[in-house]
Amino acid sequence: MNYLLPERLDRLAREYALGTLAGAARRRFERVLQQSPAATLAVGIWQERLALLAESVPAMQPRASLWQNLERRLFAPGRPAAPASESPFARLARLLSGRLLGGALAGALMCALVLRTQPGLVGLETRVDVLPASYVGLLTDSAGKPAVLASSRRQGRVLTVKMLQPISVPAGQVAELWALPKDGAPAFPVGVVPVSASATIALADTSDKLFFNVARLAVSLEPAPAKPGDAPSGPFVLSGHCVKLW
Amino acid sequence: MTNDELSGLLARVALRDRAAFEQVYRATCAHLLGIAFRILNQRERAEEALQESFLSVWHNAGGFRPSVASPMTWLINIVRNKAIDALRSGRTERGLTGTLDDDALQVAADASQQPQQLLDESLIRLKIDACMADLAGQERQALALAYYRGMVHTEIAQALNAPLGTAKAWVRRGLNKLKRCLESVGVQSS
Repeated sequence: MNYLLPERLDRLAREYALGTLAGAARRRFERVLQQSPAATLAVGIWQERLALLAESVPAMQPRASLWQNLERRLFAPGRPAAPASESPFARLARLLSGRLLGGALAGALMCALVLRTQPGLVGLETRVDVLPASYVGLLTDSAGKPAVLASSRRQGRVLTVKMLQPISVPAGQVAELWALPKDGAPAFPVGVVPVSASATIALADTSDKLFFNVARLAVSLEPAPAKPGDAPSGPFVLSGHCVKLW
Repeated sequence: MTNDELSGLLARVALRDRAAFEQVYRATCAHLLGIAFRILNQRERAEEALQESFLSVWHNAGGFRPSVASPMTWLINIVRNKAIDALRSGRTERGLTGTLDDDALQVAADASQQPQQLLDESLIRLKIDACMADLAGQERQALALAYYRGMVHTEIAQALNAPLGTAKAWVRRGLNKLKRCLESVGVQSS
């Protein structure tokens, strides 16, 4: 079924936003939402309208135990505060991080040497070993130390950000990631990066559309998350090349 | 708390700032619990849905984009989805087990009237009550049951004693009218 015919999309979007889309149809449409920006936008418009109806609902104070349970479930010792699921890219980033990076590079060189001398081995390469077409950025600090690994599949709409070393962000500020186009056009904001661990940033469009013409990525400290059209308000604290991996 | 303040706090939550997370919780939990409670009709289950929602807020705050949705809309969507999921997964056992607490009894007493009242109050607040008055009472009621109680078309048909196709048409007309009335008073959805 083509979910994206305008009339069908509007019907599904409003029924999803209202909640009357139920059962398997609701689950199917949730999968469509993960792939389709048009569907996300259509649902978003209806959700914004319907949220206006929520203002008249009388408030109800939760019991104090609710907050205590939340704190226990999220922050109790032995439970890391990192996201429950880790994307393949975050795993890749983790593998590439820190001291392993040197080892991985040495390994890659060794592979290249072996393949040069024994081209017959190329046939052994299986499909799953091939990294998918992606954009990758490695940002370094002023001392040249790797600080952030950013990666996104070519047609993907999320950017995985792995912090290779914690960055210090003063209270009340956020670390904003910027994309710097090759042609010298103004930098545009990509999203807020975490101070440590890893995170995914939802992109405004597919990677290929956003990063096709981007040469560098950089991070500046901002008083608030940047909106489209904003420019960096301060110097870049981290920066690095953005490259195509295919 | 303004939208900008709440957006700023959610950006801090994405950075794993626990203090910001607590501020978001304190500022919004009562309103959000009210919404979950209208759908689930039981304080215990509504609080469970709220807890699940805030776990999701902590893990997914990085996915919030102020350019796409207002922060309150984003939070309301999470809570409504969790409450609706809980409602539908527990539907078979509802009414057979569990004890109704005082809050729930109060809601049950005027279950059919209350969503309608909530809708009417919203329409007055939004200054579109006159515009929406063109709709038949049942069309408004169908919209109210779907939004505030999380009912699906078959339940709305049953509650209003109408054929399924008719209930669907009421909901559709209610939504379309809401869209036109909001546009006529210049409420833009961002």
